[in-house]
Amino acid sequence: MTPRRHPDAAARLLDDAAARLEALDRGAPLGLAGRTSPLGPLERRRFLAAGGSALAAALLAGCNSFGPRSARGLLELAERANEHVERWLLRHTSMDHAPRAARIAGRSFPAYHISRHVPVWDERRRGPWRLEIAGLVERPLRLSLDDLVRLPAVQQRVNHYCVEGWTAVATWWGVRVRDLARLAGARPEAQYVDFQSFDADYHESWDLESATHPQTLVAYARDGRYLPPAYGAPARLHSPVKLGYKCTKYLTRVVFMAERNGGYWSDRGYEWYAGT
Amino acid sequence: MTTVGPPTAPATYGPPAASPPPGSAAPRHPPRHHWIVRTTHWVNVLAVAVMVGSGLRIFNAYPAFHRRGESFCCYPLEGRPVPAWLTFGGWLAGARNWHFAMMWVLALTGLVYLGFVYLHGEWRDLVPRRGDARDAWEMVKFYTLARRDHPRQGKHNALQKLAYFSMPVVGVVLVLTGLAIWKPVSLGWLTALFGGYVWARYWHFLAMLALVVLAVGHVFMVLAVDPYSLRGMITGGYDPTLAPEARNARPFHHLLPRWRSSPAPPPTGAEAPAERREEDA
Repeated sequence: MTPRRHPDAAARLLDDAAARLEALDRGAPLGLAGRTSPLGPLERRRFLAAGGSALAAALLAGCNSFGPRSARGLLELAERANEHVERWLLRHTSMDHAPRAARIAGRSFPAYHISRHVPVWDERRRGPWRLEIAGLVERPLRLSLDDLVRLPAVQQRVNHYCVEGWTAVATWWGVRVRDLARLAGARPEAQYVDFQSFDADYHESWDLESATHPQTLVAYARDGRYLPPAYGAPARLHSPVKLGYKCTKYLTRVVFMAERNGGYWSDRGYEWYAGT
Repeated sequence: MTTVGPPTAPATYGPPAASPPPGSAAPRHPPRHHWIVRTTHWVNVLAVAVMVGSGLRIFNAYPAFHRRGESFCCYPLEGRPVPAWLTFGGWLAGARNWHFAMMWVLALTGLVYLGFVYLHGEWRDLVPRRGDARDAWEMVKFYTLARRDHPRQGKHNALQKLAYFSMPVVGVVLVLTGLAIWKPVSLGWLTALFGGYVWARYWHFLAMLALVVLAVGHVFMVLAVDPYSLRGMITGGYDPTLAPEARNARPFHHLLPRWRSSPAPPPTGAEAPAERREEDA
């Protein structure tokens, strides 16, 4: 299904949503059953844990594993220079397409989180889950999952690019972040967007251009099913224009900001920009 | 060395022929390699070493080529990491930071080198020409003892030319496939050109292997056949009477200076091909 453009007026968004939702349901079974499906493989988590301990070891050791200490400044300079190049290369018209012949990863799609256990939103303790659109916006929003599903949906079959080098193909359903930005009325000074979660303190902040790329979604379903807890339920960020670790799962808040706000892995040595 | 000499050089070569007028202290030769070539060579040694090491560390984060949920046809060691001692950067993020910094050094020195070689005419010593295949085969015969005398050569023998020409070609493939997997969406057309992300990553890996094979072979031959060329690549100094052709040197054979002699005089007709090459040069 080619994502269609929606009317600009915010008021018409919700009217439009019901019809689109029906179409979505016809296209693939979008049942709540998917929410209880078993956990996926967790290799990536193990790797990330290993990366974390390697970092800790590096910081403890006098001679760290980044190479000569004096090179740190040069590496940071290169990262800033690369960010300029990457932002210059970014186009809202360059779209990712999963190869036609590629198989959907399905259960081979790795799941990971940083909490000890799979994060599950506890309604009794925290009240009903809401996605907050906040920060430098005219109309802060608090959207339930139903609200989100009623908004104009996009379905896209795209690659997921992991920092480790693997890719996985999946079909995602969700709402464009650019639509959410328009709905909430993001102010012009909001040049960065922080995506925050209830997976411990996991968050990653993005540049506005990448966040408003048409393929950047707040996704609530994958391969025809609502996201199960292992894959970031109830909603997660997904985009082929950034590496996987920038795509916050277990989303709670989308905060528009004037300054960048780092991120979980970005603060631990991975590139902040991490664009594809 | 014969083709390097001035066209008026006499038929018999050797130090006297290339020496300055009597009275000067030491024989003077033009530097074996221009300082730009020498500098870019050693900067590239460093850059390639860091790129290969950090690239292997990045590869070890997921040492396989298959897309999740699929299999990959063409890599027998799918899933097996390379030994850690071959890697550089410590951990994935460190290796990536090094890789994405050093890529600029590699690309820029590559451009400076190629630009110089093109503008300064050095490409003539490197670009393959008709007859190189035959000359390369003669070198193979010489190295495998199927031929007694070192084939006549210009600045480099035909096998060297092949290696030194292949390296920049492989380097260009590495840069392009590297860009393709760095920016598979922004430069999606480039990634598609290499058959998509999975294949571009594979070509990047294979090109790295090819470069490592060429570099290891190069270092081996420098040490085993022409260690005197190290001086040529550091200070530029080079004694033609110590050239492999003048020593009739094979790997680990006639390595010492006592085998030095003036390079063989031009052939008297038996080796017409070599003669023709000289005229070409």
